[in-house]
Amino acid sequence: MNAQLASHYSSDYPEYAANLSGQSVAWLKTLRSEALATFSSTGFPTLREEEWRYTNVSAIEKKRFKPVEKTGTINENLLKTYRLDDAWTMVFVDGYFSPEHSHTSGLSDEVELSSIADILETQAEKLKPYLGQAVSNDEHNFVAFNTAWFNDGVFLNIPAKQVLSKPIQLLHIVSQPDALVTTRNIIVAGKHSESEIIETFIGENAYLNAAVNEVFVEENAALTLYKLQSESTKSYHFGGTYVKQQPNSRFNHNSFSFGALLARNDVHTDLETASECSLNGLYLGVKRQHIDNHTRINHNKPHGISREFYKGILDNRARGVFQGRVVVVEDAQKTDSEMNNRNLLLSNDAEVDTKPQLEIYADDVKCAHGVTVGQLEEKSIFYLQSRGVDEETARNVLTFAFANEMVDKVSIDSLKTLLETELLKSLPIEL
Amino acid sequence: MSATSTEIENLIGQEYKQGFVTELEVDTFPVGLDEEVIRKLSIVKNEPEFMLEYRLKAFRHWQTMDKPDWAQLNIEPIDYQAISYYSAPKNIEKLGSLDEVDPELLETYKKLGIPLDEQKQLANVAVDAVFDSVSVATTFKGKLHDAGVIFCPISEAIRDYPELVKEYLSSVVPVGDNFFAALNSAVFTDGSFVYIPKGVRCPMELSTYFRINASNTGQFERTLIIADEGSHVSYLEGCSAPQRDENQLHAAVVELVILKDAEIKYSTVQNWYPGDKDGKGGIYNFVTKRADCLGDNAKVSWTQVETGSAITWKYPSCVLTGDNSVGEFYSVALTNNLQQADTGTKMIHIGKNTTSTIISKGISAGRAQNTYRGLVKVLKNADNARNYTQCDSLLVGDKCGAHTFPYIEVKQPSAQVEHEATTSKISEDQLFFCQQRGLSAEDAVSMIVNGFCKEVFKELPMEFAVEAQALLGISLEGSVG
Repeated sequence: MNAQLASHYSSDYPEYAANLSGQSVAWLKTLRSEALATFSSTGFPTLREEEWRYTNVSAIEKKRFKPVEKTGTINENLLKTYRLDDAWTMVFVDGYFSPEHSHTSGLSDEVELSSIADILETQAEKLKPYLGQAVSNDEHNFVAFNTAWFNDGVFLNIPAKQVLSKPIQLLHIVSQPDALVTTRNIIVAGKHSESEIIETFIGENAYLNAAVNEVFVEENAALTLYKLQSESTKSYHFGGTYVKQQPNSRFNHNSFSFGALLARNDVHTDLETASECSLNGLYLGVKRQHIDNHTRINHNKPHGISREFYKGILDNRARGVFQGRVVVVEDAQKTDSEMNNRNLLLSNDAEVDTKPQLEIYADDVKCAHGVTVGQLEEKSIFYLQSRGVDEETARNVLTFAFANEMVDKVSIDSLKTLLETELLKSLPIEL
Repeated sequence: MSATSTEIENLIGQEYKQGFVTELEVDTFPVGLDEEVIRKLSIVKNEPEFMLEYRLKAFRHWQTMDKPDWAQLNIEPIDYQAISYYSAPKNIEKLGSLDEVDPELLETYKKLGIPLDEQKQLANVAVDAVFDSVSVATTFKGKLHDAGVIFCPISEAIRDYPELVKEYLSSVVPVGDNFFAALNSAVFTDGSFVYIPKGVRCPMELSTYFRINASNTGQFERTLIIADEGSHVSYLEGCSAPQRDENQLHAAVVELVILKDAEIKYSTVQNWYPGDKDGKGGIYNFVTKRADCLGDNAKVSWTQVETGSAITWKYPSCVLTGDNSVGEFYSVALTNNLQQADTGTKMIHIGKNTTSTIISKGISAGRAQNTYRGLVKVLKNADNARNYTQCDSLLVGDKCGAHTFPYIEVKQPSAQVEHEATTSKISEDQLFFCQQRGLSAEDAVSMIVNGFCKEVFKELPMEFAVEAQALLGISLEGSVG
């Protein structure tokens, strides 16, 4: 390891950078080298950083994940299970856009949906107003890491007043061992547009997936983003979604985090006047999984509304983390904010750490948060038993119901069915 | 609210009512801190050898530490070499009765409404008054002596009961626990020591009134309370300081040791000088308070009403080691003008069936920042641990801030942990209702805020509850909206 650099990933970078898409674009090259400098100075976040105090990512530094060659061989069955029939699909294999697995026929020509690597070849200027605008390298070093390393991703630009008739699925599948996958998505929801996007992460073997989304929701637009993280249980996942909302816009995020050995999900949104956001999440940890959910809602202008509801189930030696932060700045009067986090611990070795935070600088606001950690209620189990259901089934039914509340919020039927199947598969229960 | 905002601006500019300076001869060390000062301090206090070693160990540790900066506080750098570490009122040669106490001092207490004279008999309160750093008068010794209770200045305890002090001092707050605790361990001059023997219910409420008086004197109080098996004690701590321009550092350490079946109730009313309306002056209140429920069925209850100080930084904590032990924390923290408070508690559940309750009420007015920061930690073996937390914040005016930073860490599935927090302002409806019933806006707000804090006030001993309500009234008179 180079003594000057905090991470061996940095010393591997020059070799990799030569083949990066868009390296001939000057402004992008500057952006990437700045990001590399930021990342190289301190490496991946450590427990000493307040926002990372419960999540130790030192294992990533100990391993040596590397960007892989484009091959195209994938587990078709795995892909088939997760590809939704009633959606347009963009498939990424090991971080590369794979046109043969994707299908976008029928999508209006006005909607721009393309691979970032393609755009960087010919129309890089299109990305300039967006790249690095919703999140900066200062956020933390995973973002800087992604900015320096990213090679592909999606650029989705929904023009004003477009209402998408079907959701768009962004499916990321990784199959090569020790792969380092870094994708960057830019999503722009134009004024008055309405759209639904489903991010899906799946894979086999041990790998690192560090994805960043920059999302721009224009005035009066409505965007719903689903995230299904069902990575291989040997993998490391970082997924950050950073959102800039314009006045009167609505942003919904539903996160389902079932997979990965270590997963960290960031959702940050900046609210403008009278905009709304709703962040929901379900995290499910078994065996030695570690799942960290990190949200931040910045109420920057008056009349914003935010709702947040995260639920977690932790079994075996799994560890769940929830860190939610709501900031209401001085001018953001009439803000209405609610945050809730509920956790179910199923085993003696499971752990949950939760940190809901309110930071309020305005007086005419309504803000509340609540947290619970506990186990299934004995009364409920007893009730079911009194109805002739045996104890184990009663526990299973109640556990499923606890989780299913979040699945019920999904409005896309095929996704809902998929999630229910996933839930039954992931939960330590049989029904 | 807009209609009354100018009124509010006027009202916020209230003067600190307890601001007066007692002229008294003071024996003070020159400013500065090194090992020599600590040796000198130990000699002046006539301490046994082990204390000097203890202090030096703490001092050496302190030198290796950095000032913590994680709190939501904006603190001017403190020059620890610009502080005098010892200041004692003169003429205190073993007073036999109150008559011998400096009348000026008595007058000071009278202004504060402290029942140090005859009234104390009626109030049934024994007072160990700490004037700056040395205890000048201790009352009710006889009655407590009969019950076997030891209640004396800690400097006396170090000389008279070295075994107890040696065993328990820093057993709850280790010398290197944090920057300010280490500093305190090195330089503390006095404080209170209480020992309640087995099975004794302390016949009266014990009380210490702290005063910071001499200018430029850092105040480093040390309190150690030991409740032996099956005993019970209620301890009252109240503070008030005269008006000053320079920031004064106060870094106290309070340690409570609670053995099997014992109970300690610790109540605080803190009304130190908060600085003027431009944030000039005021006390820095950086306190480490911790209770260890060592035995089974032990119980500790912290109640605090924090209205004073420019900066308050304290987290009275409960370590629930014994099975079935109980920790409680009731807090009202009021900040006005440019005051800052970062306060809360830590509940560490170690034993089985341990229970903790946190009720925190934060009121922020003017340009103040008020933060609740709390930790609830349930360790692996704490079967059936139970915690309930409620933190409410009330904002008065549009330039202040209220923040809630709870940390919840659970490693035990049978634990039940609940946390709730709300932030709001006084509702227009409530204000209007009170006003149309003939109350002034100011009285209405005072009444609503008192109602907001009721859950905490009802935990205070009677005399304190009255004082606390009055204090809140005074502090709020100016900050109503």
